[in-house]
Amino acid sequence: MSKTVDPITLQVVAGALHAIAEQMGNVLYRMSYSSIIRESQDLGAGLFDKDFNTLCESDSTPMHIGSLPGYLRGIEKTIPLDAWKPGDCVIHNHPYYGASHSPDIAIVMPVFYEGELVGFAGNTAHHVDIGAATPGLIIDVPDMYAEGMLLNGLKLYNEGVRNESLWRYIRDNTRVPSLVMGDLEAQIASAELGVRRFQELLATYTKETVIQSCHQLMDYSESMLRRAISEIPDGDYTAEGFLDDDGRNRGVTLPIKVTVKVRGDGVEVDLTGSSPQVPTAFNVPFEGSTKVACYFAFRALLLDTYTLADPIPANEGSFRPVKVTAPLGSIFNPIAPAAAEARFCQIQRVVDLIIKALAPVVPDKATAGNSATLSFAAYSGVRSSGDYWVFLEVNEAAMGARSTSDGPDTIEELMRNTRNNPLEDLGMHLPLICDRYEIRDDVFPGAGKFRGGAGVVKSQRFLSPGFVTHESDRHEDAPWGVFGGHPGMVGKMEVDNIFDPSKKRSAYAKFSGLRVDEGDVVSYFSPSGGGYGSPLERDPAKVLDDVLDDFISVEHAFEVYGVVFDDVDDGYGYAVNAAKTQTRRAELARA
Amino acid sequence: MIRVGVDVGGTFTDIVLERSLPGGDQQVFVHKVSSTPADQSEGVVRGIVEICGHADVKPADIDFVFHGTTVATNMVIERNGAEVGMITTKGFRDIMHMGRHKRPHNFSLQFDVPWQSKPLVKRRNRIAVTERLMPPTGNIEVPLNLDEVKHAADLFAKRKLDAVVISFLFSFLNDVHEQKAKEIVKAAMPNAFVCTSSEVVNVMREYERFSSCAMNAYIGPKTSTYLNNLEGRLRHAGVKASVRIMQSNGGISTIDNSSKLPIGLLLSGPAGGVMGGRWTGENSGKQNVITIDIGGTSADISVIEKGELRVKNPRDTEVAGLPVLVPMIDIDAIGAGGGSIAYIDAGGAFRVGPRSAGAVPGPACYGKGGTEPTVTDAQVVLGRLDIDQFLGGDLKIEGSLSHTAVDTHIAKKLGLSVTDAAIGILKIINNNMALAINSNSVAKGVDPRNFTLMGFGGAGPLHAVALAEMIHAKDVISPAHPGITAAMGLLVTELRYEFTRSVLTVLNTAGEAEFASINASFDKLLSEARAQLDADSIPAVEQVFTKIAECRYVGQGFELRAELPAEALTKGNVDVAIRNFFNAHKQVYGHAFEDQMVEVVTLRVVATANVETLKLPKLEKGGQKNPEAAKLYVRDTVFDDGKPTPTTRFARGKLKDGDTVSGPALIVQHNSTTLVPPGYLATVLTYGDIHVARS
Repeated sequence: MSKTVDPITLQVVAGALHAIAEQMGNVLYRMSYSSIIRESQDLGAGLFDKDFNTLCESDSTPMHIGSLPGYLRGIEKTIPLDAWKPGDCVIHNHPYYGASHSPDIAIVMPVFYEGELVGFAGNTAHHVDIGAATPGLIIDVPDMYAEGMLLNGLKLYNEGVRNESLWRYIRDNTRVPSLVMGDLEAQIASAELGVRRFQELLATYTKETVIQSCHQLMDYSESMLRRAISEIPDGDYTAEGFLDDDGRNRGVTLPIKVTVKVRGDGVEVDLTGSSPQVPTAFNVPFEGSTKVACYFAFRALLLDTYTLADPIPANEGSFRPVKVTAPLGSIFNPIAPAAAEARFCQIQRVVDLIIKALAPVVPDKATAGNSATLSFAAYSGVRSSGDYWVFLEVNEAAMGARSTSDGPDTIEELMRNTRNNPLEDLGMHLPLICDRYEIRDDVFPGAGKFRGGAGVVKSQRFLSPGFVTHESDRHEDAPWGVFGGHPGMVGKMEVDNIFDPSKKRSAYAKFSGLRVDEGDVVSYFSPSGGGYGSPLERDPAKVLDDVLDDFISVEHAFEVYGVVFDDVDDGYGYAVNAAKTQTRRAELARA
Repeated sequence: MIRVGVDVGGTFTDIVLERSLPGGDQQVFVHKVSSTPADQSEGVVRGIVEICGHADVKPADIDFVFHGTTVATNMVIERNGAEVGMITTKGFRDIMHMGRHKRPHNFSLQFDVPWQSKPLVKRRNRIAVTERLMPPTGNIEVPLNLDEVKHAADLFAKRKLDAVVISFLFSFLNDVHEQKAKEIVKAAMPNAFVCTSSEVVNVMREYERFSSCAMNAYIGPKTSTYLNNLEGRLRHAGVKASVRIMQSNGGISTIDNSSKLPIGLLLSGPAGGVMGGRWTGENSGKQNVITIDIGGTSADISVIEKGELRVKNPRDTEVAGLPVLVPMIDIDAIGAGGGSIAYIDAGGAFRVGPRSAGAVPGPACYGKGGTEPTVTDAQVVLGRLDIDQFLGGDLKIEGSLSHTAVDTHIAKKLGLSVTDAAIGILKIINNNMALAINSNSVAKGVDPRNFTLMGFGGAGPLHAVALAEMIHAKDVISPAHPGITAAMGLLVTELRYEFTRSVLTVLNTAGEAEFASINASFDKLLSEARAQLDADSIPAVEQVFTKIAECRYVGQGFELRAELPAEALTKGNVDVAIRNFFNAHKQVYGHAFEDQMVEVVTLRVVATANVETLKLPKLEKGGQKNPEAAKLYVRDTVFDDGKPTPTTRFARGKLKDGDTVSGPALIVQHNSTTLVPPGYLATVLTYGDIHVARS
């Protein structure tokens, strides 16, 4: 065992590791071509030791963060540690060998120092199209072979020489080679940068010091999370919910059961009791997604970067106290060759149910029910030139309320944190035009002392015929209220036609390869978040703000919040009548 | 000619006065007064009047006043700007509420969303009206409903709003609806501050354009009031000079223009420092300079390459987490300064900053109630700052308090000696700064080995050598007046305006029609630019125009600046533009894909005019080694080996041109100390700047 690194050097190495991961992430998203990477930043990057521990990771999309060790363990099945050579570059996306899901392709390069393998630099990024059954996204497909190209630990570069046959194979098997190949170039540049910077770090501080520092930093992060877990009383905490359907068998809901077993300074998430695996792509890869979701939940809940004064190094340490169990053959641990591409809605709900299960014992850190879903739309069509266009869009939803603040409106929640695309940039390049993008005004957010976040509505109009695949959920099971707060609202989908109003129809949350005509408008209405605490305790001034800002109506304020207004002729219209509000609230409290 | 530069900081307002004497020589006076945060102009005018006394000139004889101000920035940070109304496209009321829908924290459930909790325009004041422009040409699909606009304007008037913005989707393609709505609002609210999104920043990307426009209106009324007050107070004090305001892009502008586009002032404060750094670099023969301006709570970092300022990628230009789509010098600010607090966190990690003791209570040694050790306390413990030299002895401090603070909060907890703990504090803060320098240099394709590190602000020259070692910079410059470099920078700037238009065109396949359209847009931008410089009474021969195309590969999301030939763009010379884009891409990302199509997104014309520059008097010729006359006394100082070393202090004011001081040594002046570690040699340059390099 090496001798302990002093706290000063430790801090210096920690800063350097963080900076390397950030730079890797920056190079990747700035150089990339597809909007899902460059605008949405659906990516992750970092450095790893040769035991596949995460040493540092970019502050990107949480879903990607923490998934790379799974990829590395999967790659080891085809490329054992002694088969790596300097200058190698491996591509991997196999959902049963550690990948998060098949469109999230990993690029991994080995880091050699003084002739010896020290670790890896790698990244994952969501690719627009890997040649699946339907353009961009898939839901209702029979098995993993319909997901498109499965790349299982293949060397894209052998000792610095590109495998041209593999390169051509990839180019020929995607609908949008110009985007995919450019994005792969960006991933390679990012990994190369990581290799170089890691080597420089080793040269500056010696290999022994850097590796020992990494171990101490992982121990530090682990101890911070263990300390927080140990403050929770031991016990089994359970919460349940359900998903709409699997995208094929309509009306058949899928249960999710989460039991959080707190024991001392460790915790186990047991998903026993959740749905068996399903016959569509609506399954979750265990290594690359189910586990990552559980790691995320405890970091966000217990090491909240907003409330915590000190940044905790982002590394393997924060995964160690969390054990994840899901029965083989369940939706969270499917058996090959079940398809497992559309996995996001399920893991969002796992995170949300972990929060729900623990809310009674960590009320200050929890939230009311979040939207905990995803709206992932693949719009596509064929241009007159014969080229495909494919555009992947992530639509946000809303958060549940918190103990001291309202749930954020119209925002990326939990495992996702992408950026939206400028509507104007899309309008300039695609036969698609956005007709509406604003706060959903057909429902009110969950009422409470602090209210839930308001959801979003987005409407995209096709200017020429095309296809839509939509991956979403939560049209059935509304986000819950907590500690007397009211539930939020479920989401909905509508398809409309600007030329022919009679064509208006509702749609399921998830559907595959829907054909659309010119003038068809696809509208997504997201769920809104649940409330926290009794609405009768909400500060009447905040209720007035919500009325003036059109988040709620005057009637809703009266019925649910018990706030009564006077008319005022100041251009705004209302002022709180304190006396009448008090009476009304007493009346509602008695009821 | 008499010119005055005034830079307002959080604690002090710095003033520089420069007078040209007959025969071409120049005299320079410097002065410091306390800032007056309630109304900065009060301190500004007092400082000017006082410095006139020192220089024995009449206020009426000043020709120009150059001013760097944090008024606009503070308004954004403190969120006390105007009540703004917004008229926008129906269906898109909440573009500014959603932002880019990315939350500010990945691993958090309790986070705040500033653009929702503290919006520039409240939702109640965002009114959507019927109108629709269509890409890619901007043709009108649905005409503007004038009645709805009138109704909104009347409502805003009734609500007594201070400002109104008009922001329509795709208005960068066609501003006819925005202009029509503006007329209606102006008629209903003649005294309101009104601007449209395409006037403020005529570029694609609705959230960034709308938010920039809203920001302009949010800070507009109070900024123009401030500037008018300033002008009034100056006139009252007898100052008749023209007043020019420092802009975020390193240029200066008139009061009139700054009142209309206050959004250009958001980096007005730090920009002066970078300009001063560039000028100091020129004086000392350094074209490649990395500047770090170290204050009490933060440090500002910028890179000057071949004498040119670096402009921040418009995708990264933010203030207080909100996008500001105007050109800015690429300055990175990090929370590291003399007041940064050192502590051991709950998990036992040794941390320094970003929490700061600020001006109050300040470092422990100030004896104003601060007990936690700061970076300044570490310097005191190590004997790198002499307690009797703080602000030339004007500030009374207590060294034992530093010792106690480091001992109690760091040394005892880690089982280190107080000396080692203090060295550790500096090592960690220097590392934080070095990493920030790296991300503003190495990460952007700059190789620090060819650069000089220039540290200024009071604390800059104490850290500069250590930082230069960490980033492998070539050498170090300590400017003649490190504490007032930013104020000096105001006197070395140029008039600078930028005009933009989005034109999305693929350059490789552009034909006659596309080039004609690009050239017509440029002609329009050039005539706007010319009109602006004419309005500033700049003779035509002194007007300089640069044409820039902001380009990306087709499908990419981030643009880079490519300079264009001065003449019209044609099939024949378009390669020059494409080549310039490849070079920019290669520098920033290390790669250029020469087989791929290049698309221009935004055309930009930069109009500049040089104004006279500041000249410091030359020092008397010296040339001595460790000149006796400049020696003050010898005290122990601890360098990185941890051993107390007898170290001579030199009075900076007594050093002459060509004198050298070999380390270990401290070179002391009123508001700054230059640290020369063992093995280093300091050389005094012609204008009083000091060059430090390994001997």
